[in-house]
Amino acid sequence: MANPAETPDPNPSTPKLESEEIEEINGDEEEEEEEYEEEEDDGKPQTREDAIASRIQAASLFRRMRAAPVPVRVHDVIVKGNEKTKDHVIEAEVDVLREATTLQELLKASKVANFNLQALDIFDSVKITIDSGPPELPGTTNVVIHVVESKSPITGQIGTFTKAEARSSSLEGSLKYKNIFGYGDIWDGSLAYGCDHSAEVGLGMYLPRFRGRPTPFTSRVYLSTQEWLKFSSYKERALGLSFGLIASKYHELVYTTAWRNLIDPSQMASTSIRRQLGHNLVSALKYTFKFDKRNSPLRPTRGYSFISTSQIGGLAPDSRTLRFLRQEVDLRYAVPLGFYRAALNFGVSGGITFPWGSGYKSRASYVPERFFLGGNISPVCSLGGPSALWGFKTRGLGPNEPRREVQDEENGGTYERDFVGGDVAVTAFADLSFDFPVKWFRDRGIHGHVFACAGNMAELSENKYRKFSGPKFLETFRSSVGAGIVVPTSLFRMELNYCHILKKQEHDRAKSGLFMTFSTS
Amino acid sequence: MEGDQETEVYTLVARKPSFDLPTACPNCLPAYIYLKLAKLPFELAFNSTFPDSDELPYFENGTYVAYNNEDGGVIEKLKKDGIVNLDAQLQSLPEYLSLKALIASWLEEALTYEIWVGTEGISTSKIYYSDLPWVISKVLFYKQTYMAKNRLGITKETAEQRETQIYKRAGEAYEALSTRLGEQKFLFEDRPSSLDAFLLSHMLFIIQVLPETSVLRCKLLEHNNLVRYAEKLKAEFLEASSSSPSPPLHSFPSSFTRKGSKPKSKPKVEKTEEEKKFKKRARFFIAAQFLAVVIYLSVMGGGSSDEPEYEDEDD
Repeated sequence: MANPAETPDPNPSTPKLESEEIEEINGDEEEEEEEYEEEEDDGKPQTREDAIASRIQAASLFRRMRAAPVPVRVHDVIVKGNEKTKDHVIEAEVDVLREATTLQELLKASKVANFNLQALDIFDSVKITIDSGPPELPGTTNVVIHVVESKSPITGQIGTFTKAEARSSSLEGSLKYKNIFGYGDIWDGSLAYGCDHSAEVGLGMYLPRFRGRPTPFTSRVYLSTQEWLKFSSYKERALGLSFGLIASKYHELVYTTAWRNLIDPSQMASTSIRRQLGHNLVSALKYTFKFDKRNSPLRPTRGYSFISTSQIGGLAPDSRTLRFLRQEVDLRYAVPLGFYRAALNFGVSGGITFPWGSGYKSRASYVPERFFLGGNISPVCSLGGPSALWGFKTRGLGPNEPRREVQDEENGGTYERDFVGGDVAVTAFADLSFDFPVKWFRDRGIHGHVFACAGNMAELSENKYRKFSGPKFLETFRSSVGAGIVVPTSLFRMELNYCHILKKQEHDRAKSGLFMTFSTS
Repeated sequence: MEGDQETEVYTLVARKPSFDLPTACPNCLPAYIYLKLAKLPFELAFNSTFPDSDELPYFENGTYVAYNNEDGGVIEKLKKDGIVNLDAQLQSLPEYLSLKALIASWLEEALTYEIWVGTEGISTSKIYYSDLPWVISKVLFYKQTYMAKNRLGITKETAEQRETQIYKRAGEAYEALSTRLGEQKFLFEDRPSSLDAFLLSHMLFIIQVLPETSVLRCKLLEHNNLVRYAEKLKAEFLEASSSSPSPPLHSFPSSFTRKGSKPKSKPKVEKTEEEKKFKKRARFFIAAQFLAVVIYLSVMGGGSSDEPEYEDEDD
């Protein structure tokens, strides 16, 4: 009887297992039919007897695998098909193969390695084959990775996404040039245009491995404008350079340095905004911890998520760079209710920002780094910090100031206010989503929801923290309730809601009525 | 800040002080001196991050703002809006206009040339860039130098010729002003005017900010009476306490009114109400059309009813 500890038959005619088929074999123990593909050896035709013998051997191998772990050692990882891509780039993604000690582990590791190589986005196809090792070394196996590099290195794409900073969705078109130098490098040029008249043009570079670091390295140079004239009487222009230092499943660390310029072409700004017009240099480090166990970012029906973003600005020898601290947290929880795919979603998010350095208490915080609530995105989808509230328009609530007076002959005086943002913001929401009883809606993912939300902001910088009080902050909380229909499309999630404003403050831009939101993941 | 409270505090927002001047910016100093000559109590606030803005200095009181790039400058706007007008009875005099033209064109050109070209911008870092990081300072310095040269019509071919012309005109202007002033306290008998503010600002800047090697400074120092004039006015109006609310030299309405504040039209072109409505409706129409097409294609095509499930990745 063959020793279970032995490796697969070193006979070259041993069937080679491809990663795609391995998944079926490994994952589904109930299937009696085991599918595998035989690889022909260098074009030598197999005889009928050889084929039958191979099948018998394979069947015996699978029986052994089901019974107990089959010990195996990876002798060599052979990479084929890479004319441009450096070997070490591919080998770095498949390190997990060398750590496998049993055939079962090796099959799992092959799946992971295949996924990692596909994720590099520079290959048209990836095949991992497990072959027997050299005959003189029993118990070993060779792993052969066959890749097909992308024939057309240039790809273009257009998509929509939601940027938390812009508080609205935007359309982005990008061109990518892949693997120019063979390091798995991806270069892209992109152009994005947002609903709020924001625009950004950027050039980026992505390196899966950089100087032996375990996580990819990204860098991006961008030129962006964001127009907030209608809401806060300023326009922001930025020329920046950012480096993605760490990007893993849970952690992200980004360093950004940018020249920001705030201008007011309308010359209508309020006092606080006028004081902030001008040039600034930002040198900031941003760390994000994200833990998302919800089953979907656009319609979560179970799971929870937590995200924390910490930012520190002023990391430069020059004390004249913008110095600020910013912290945001967001916690979500989805509870399935068990009927009509209904689920109850809860969310709480908060944020605080404050300048640091000498005279920090009396200095004003930088307006673009403050918090603004309101907009046409759904709180259910905007994970990242306090941003959205149903029923309130973009930058439609919170601290505000009168703009420059203009005497209009027709109106006898204009009323306009600037929303200047808050240094501390808190939002909370509850959302009950459910399928409609009509099958037509269910098939298309159209469902209904009933929601309630609340939020508030306050200023703390410029010594205003002295006037801040918890009871007053709670007393001035804004809130709204409503119900609506959610229509998921291939580009975005659209909500058509009726919102009823329960509580708002003077000058808030909110009113009860129909309200649409657009969100992307 | 929530809540409207119109305060009666006047504030002049200018660039930062330096070289022993309350504001070292040659565009901001005239407005400061003008308000001091008018003995109007005001506060001074600073903006040190916008060296290339032509809005500075600006004068504000609550929601009223007078920017420097409107209506011929802050001083003209303050006169026009009835805040403070030192030139009420002088504006019709022919000498007023000719002196104003002299100061506003020849002297202003000479000062601009000397700051950015003549002294190669040696003083600009303290005037404009003291609060800005090095990178931004350098870029803005080159930008402002380029713009100044453009404004003065200085190119490689015309540089020498323009330099000679500018210095010659400045010398002639100093000569004329020195003759005009004599030993008077102000340019126009015993009443200060906006021209005194411009001239005093020009002279204080040249004497205190420009280096001793400056050609313009040497030309100015040849006229002792001008220097004495500057020293006297500086001692009386700038170095004296500014907190005492002494009665103004020229009567202006005791309660703050915006006399003659004509409706300000926004810098951009005003669209009629109808055009605005039409464009808004057109935008909504197009957006609705696009939305309808997208929804039709997604929903009728059998939109995704199952949300994508997350895969558990092995770390």
